[in-house]
Amino acid sequence: MERSPIKRELLRNALEGIADNMMVTVIRTSRSMVVKSNLDFSAGICDGAGVMVAQGLALPPHLGAMMPALAGCLDEFGDDIHPGDILANNDPYSGASHLNDVFMYLPVFTPGGERIAFVGLILHHTDMGGRVPGGNATDSSEIFQEGLRIAPTKIHERGEPNRTLFRIIESNVRVPGLVIGDMRAQIAALQVAEREFQALFERYDANEVKAYMADLVDHSERLTRASVAALPDGEVEFSDWMDGDGVGDDPVEFHAKLTVRGDEMTVDFTGTSPQTTGALNPNFWFTASCTYAAVRTVLDADIPNNAGFTRPITVIAPEGCFLNPVFPAPLGARGQSGYRVRSVVLGALAKLLPGRMPACPGGSEFAVVFAGYEADRSPFLFLEFHNITGLGGAPDRDGQDAGPYWLGNIANVSVELIEAESPLLIEEYGFLPDTGGAGRFRGALGIVRQYRLLAEKATLQLRSDRQFFPPWGLEGGGSGSPGRCLLNPASNDPEVLPSKFIRTLKRGDVLRGEMPGSGGYGDPFTRDAEAVHDDVRQGKFSVRHAREAYGVAVDARTLKLEARATAALRAKGRNAGPRDTRSQMAKRTR
Amino acid sequence: MAPFKLGVDIGGTFTDIVLLGADGALFGKKILSTPDDYSLAIEEGVLELLTKASVSPEDIVAIAHGTTIATNAIIERRGATVALITTRGFRDVLELARFRTPKLYDMNFRRPDPLVERRLRFEVPERIDAHGGVVEPLDEAALAAVAAQIRDEGIQAVAVCFLNAYANPVHEERAVRILKEALPEASVSASTQFLPQIQEYERTSTTVVNAYLRPVVEGYVAALGKRLHAMGITAPFNIMQSSGGLVPATLAGANPALIIESGPAAGVVGCRRLGEQLGSGDLIVLDMGGTTAKASIIRDGELTIMPQSEVGGAALMGNRLLQGAGYPVQVPTIDIAEVCSGGGSIAWIDAGGGFQVGPQSAGAAPGPVCYDHSGTRPTVTDANLILGYLNPKALVGGELGLNAGKAREAIADLAASLGQAPVDVAYGIHQIANATMNRAMKAVTSEQGLDPQAFALVAIGGNGGVHACGLAEDLGVARIVVPPTAGLFSALGLLLADVEHQAVSALYRPLDAIVPDEVNGVLTPLLAEVERLLAADGFAGADARRIEVLADTKYVGQTWTLAIALEGVPVTDATLDALKSAFGDAHERAYHYRSDAEPVQLVALKVVGRGLAQSRDVALKPGERARAGPNETRDAFFGEDPGWLPCAVVGRGELGAEARPGPLIVEDYDSTIVVRPGWGARRDGAGNVDLAWGEDGQAWRAERTT
Repeated sequence: MERSPIKRELLRNALEGIADNMMVTVIRTSRSMVVKSNLDFSAGICDGAGVMVAQGLALPPHLGAMMPALAGCLDEFGDDIHPGDILANNDPYSGASHLNDVFMYLPVFTPGGERIAFVGLILHHTDMGGRVPGGNATDSSEIFQEGLRIAPTKIHERGEPNRTLFRIIESNVRVPGLVIGDMRAQIAALQVAEREFQALFERYDANEVKAYMADLVDHSERLTRASVAALPDGEVEFSDWMDGDGVGDDPVEFHAKLTVRGDEMTVDFTGTSPQTTGALNPNFWFTASCTYAAVRTVLDADIPNNAGFTRPITVIAPEGCFLNPVFPAPLGARGQSGYRVRSVVLGALAKLLPGRMPACPGGSEFAVVFAGYEADRSPFLFLEFHNITGLGGAPDRDGQDAGPYWLGNIANVSVELIEAESPLLIEEYGFLPDTGGAGRFRGALGIVRQYRLLAEKATLQLRSDRQFFPPWGLEGGGSGSPGRCLLNPASNDPEVLPSKFIRTLKRGDVLRGEMPGSGGYGDPFTRDAEAVHDDVRQGKFSVRHAREAYGVAVDARTLKLEARATAALRAKGRNAGPRDTRSQMAKRTR
Repeated sequence: MAPFKLGVDIGGTFTDIVLLGADGALFGKKILSTPDDYSLAIEEGVLELLTKASVSPEDIVAIAHGTTIATNAIIERRGATVALITTRGFRDVLELARFRTPKLYDMNFRRPDPLVERRLRFEVPERIDAHGGVVEPLDEAALAAVAAQIRDEGIQAVAVCFLNAYANPVHEERAVRILKEALPEASVSASTQFLPQIQEYERTSTTVVNAYLRPVVEGYVAALGKRLHAMGITAPFNIMQSSGGLVPATLAGANPALIIESGPAAGVVGCRRLGEQLGSGDLIVLDMGGTTAKASIIRDGELTIMPQSEVGGAALMGNRLLQGAGYPVQVPTIDIAEVCSGGGSIAWIDAGGGFQVGPQSAGAAPGPVCYDHSGTRPTVTDANLILGYLNPKALVGGELGLNAGKAREAIADLAASLGQAPVDVAYGIHQIANATMNRAMKAVTSEQGLDPQAFALVAIGGNGGVHACGLAEDLGVARIVVPPTAGLFSALGLLLADVEHQAVSALYRPLDAIVPDEVNGVLTPLLAEVERLLAADGFAGADARRIEVLADTKYVGQTWTLAIALEGVPVTDATLDALKSAFGDAHERAYHYRSDAEPVQLVALKVVGRGLAQSRDVALKPGERARAGPNETRDAFFGEDPGWLPCAVVGRGELGAEARPGPLIVEDYDSTIVVRPGWGARRDGAGNVDLAWGEDGQAWRAERTT
């Protein structure tokens, strides 16, 4: 059959429109904050064999997630899939991601009865039961502690809901109203998408649709290959670390070897630490998705998301390593490791493409939960994420303070909303001066958020990192400041807290979270003295920091730049050692 | 001479001017904008139009204006230097923003820098809690010290935004008094004076945007008023707000955040009036210009209003799930979906051999190839020309000459590299532009749970009529209306809008915990304020105005609110019960579920007063224009099947009440309508071209499903 690029573009528009419409249907009909505010879900369309053809707006950790969970379902059901069936899977050991992400797929049949496609939706559900509310605990030791595992199964069978499964879910999760409500939203969106897909057959012949779907995947593959081929050939390695695994204190090394040969790329995580006891291990598919996301930043931005994009990119993570753990390792809190996968791949790309990549974004992947009871015994649960604080210095400009991360899209929560709805008073939320990695182009400042508990008592759960391995700099730029957490900072005896813990607080206790700044780029002594001076005037640098980290003298009283003293300082050169202490720390802690 | 109203809408490329007489006589003019001083083009265009229509300046009784001045001032950073005063510990709220990116995977994206640099953001000790209680009193000595610093900096604009001030404005009010005394020259505005709503970042941003724009917009309004005066036009002067209501120019100057989406709003408002005349309350409005196309929805005769918008985010085009490109403004704004698809959108081939149209646009310079202004890359307009849809010689009543030969060459080059026939490529460009616009139209219909087939399509903008039939066919819409002066419709819409004033007060309280007296205590001053403003604009009698009381409500824990009309003031227990059930109904309509067991949260109370437009019921009588030649025909291409067909080319005036079947081309001064085969076109008494598929669209649907 002769193919027209025009028809292909029209069909691509139609398929992406169906995927987008699924997203909007979910937003309109779902109940939970995670879905509505954090947009923690994705929609996609696969062909009848499970090859992804189109994806709606895709969150980075969902970039490669749609196909493996469907493959898990196809392994189970083969041809035993019929019109009106909806397949469900949340089993990380059958291609899904972590238990809260429930994947669902609805098959589309042509008027002639051929299975031509699946419409699919990944949606993060608020609670799947298990030991700790929300399933985000770092200290689980087996997946069995994390909640209900739904290996590939049918949640609808020939149009009829599987009541047994719904009953089991309902009786195993903490907030069944919310979870079942969101599942209904998920199912409704799939059904709408199926009807829209059927409408395509009014306009196009079924064989034509099939041929163009294959064509769309090939087109993405061609674009990706062209884009990879434009990168220099080479082999580079990079390591980054996490402070610990949530159970023990041993640092976890993430090691990536990135190879570009012609129009293909391989990211090999061999050399990464072995899997650990805690729940921070990501499964292979989550590792792969985060890798694709990081790689996407150096490829043509307009490549449509489908199986063609991932074909030229090979991800290797040996079984049993931290990034591909074996059953029954827990994975509930793997979101944090996803940030480190992204940063280690970005670091490798920086070595492959000197002068193109920015330094590491700041932040400690800070996730905090306060839960307890108000005076009238009504329960409260407050959860927020501050994953990233700002951007790393880039080859041609500073990392923007509070700049939004391009590989994550989770908003902060309004202080006024928190105070109106939870027994908390936020005492401070702002930049921490002097905390950005020094550099010719500096990293963004770190951020402080300080919470006072107004209820009688509450359980506090913190999941954070980067207390020992701060966000790295590049090309002689310094790292951002490390993270730090304090209990009752204004008291005589403030307590320094670890990055991951669960404990009980009482009324009046204050948690101070100081989140890291971003890495800097290039030698700070070559930073434009006027730019340093402006940072001092803005209160983003102290006079001392300007002098010590940048060799720039500013009068402490008038805040005037002292040009001659600056020249002298800079001529003398730095008397301190290298600002980037990361490698020393790695040596110390390994 | 009969009294006339003057509508002036400024766009990036053209300034559109319309004169509307009390008897419906309608005159229009398109003139290139003069961005250095917009009032130059206004003066020139108005003078020309007055001469043409033989109207003297004294005959003008009202002026309505739509302008992008506020948006442009933000994009070009031409606003005032602003100092911001916040609660201690929260100096950085403005710069921290919300951590949203509109462009995933793009590591070069930067948010626009905050409108107030950090050194001009000052903290003072004070604290109000979420329930309005004073945790820490305002430190007046510290505030005085801040005022002294602001004076030393020579700053003229001061914004105050304290945490939880929406729950209790006492500290903000006290601070404003102290600052006004200490800084008599400066304009001081507090967040709660404007629209006091919860969420500190959005409220701070709104207050700062307002303070930042004030000198620019006040100056603009004063200069334009002066110029109009000098021309002898002394009529009251109103400006379109983002919400679709007019506001006196001086008030717009003091509250410029209200007029940020002034330009796009007018066309939608005009279509709403059109719908009233047509007796059709359900309309999809499509406004297709040179660079972008905008879609909006009118449902049961009502505009779709969003509680906030973003300004200054040029990067945001396309996915409406993503935010963070600009500065949020908590001002009611008509919901408009915009996509990069216009006459100037460029067709190109990507690295993988894929065929793309847009998002780059040739704009006015270099413009489409056929404009012969050095443009070399084929655009949608070039394709429409090749397809026979546009007059091959000239557009805008002959004022813009075209070079069809150059367009043909450019498309032939593209076709050669694709290995396709030029006409197929031209048709493909046209269709892909339609597919992009379809995304915008779906965003406001099917993505909101609305069936587009239940709506009529109103096509405005210079290119709306060229693409309308194809778009309607894709969506299954069976009726299209192209109003007179479709290419100038935003300017006309200005003259059909109501004056609108709004007063808001926050009341963040679970509905169950509220007593009626509390609500009445909040509403009484709001009502008085709105009545005072309407009276000042000359809307005194009950017939001349409509006052609506709204409660912003949500389920506890939700982010977005719905505005629910409060039945009856003063409020009683029964009113509050009715509010709760009305909220459930509205929630079900918007989100397809209700949860009567869940507590309902009141967020704010609003009073909206409208001074009703006098010209809303006027039957329009557009002046007729001569066309190039009578009894003209030209061939136009309508896809593989039926291919090329000869089309009669007629003027709007030549259409009658009897439907004339397509294919047919209707040429107007400011727009062209392509009537595809299968459609019929007639002209109604008001001069609208009304297009219908077969009898009622059923024929087409039947054909589709076989």
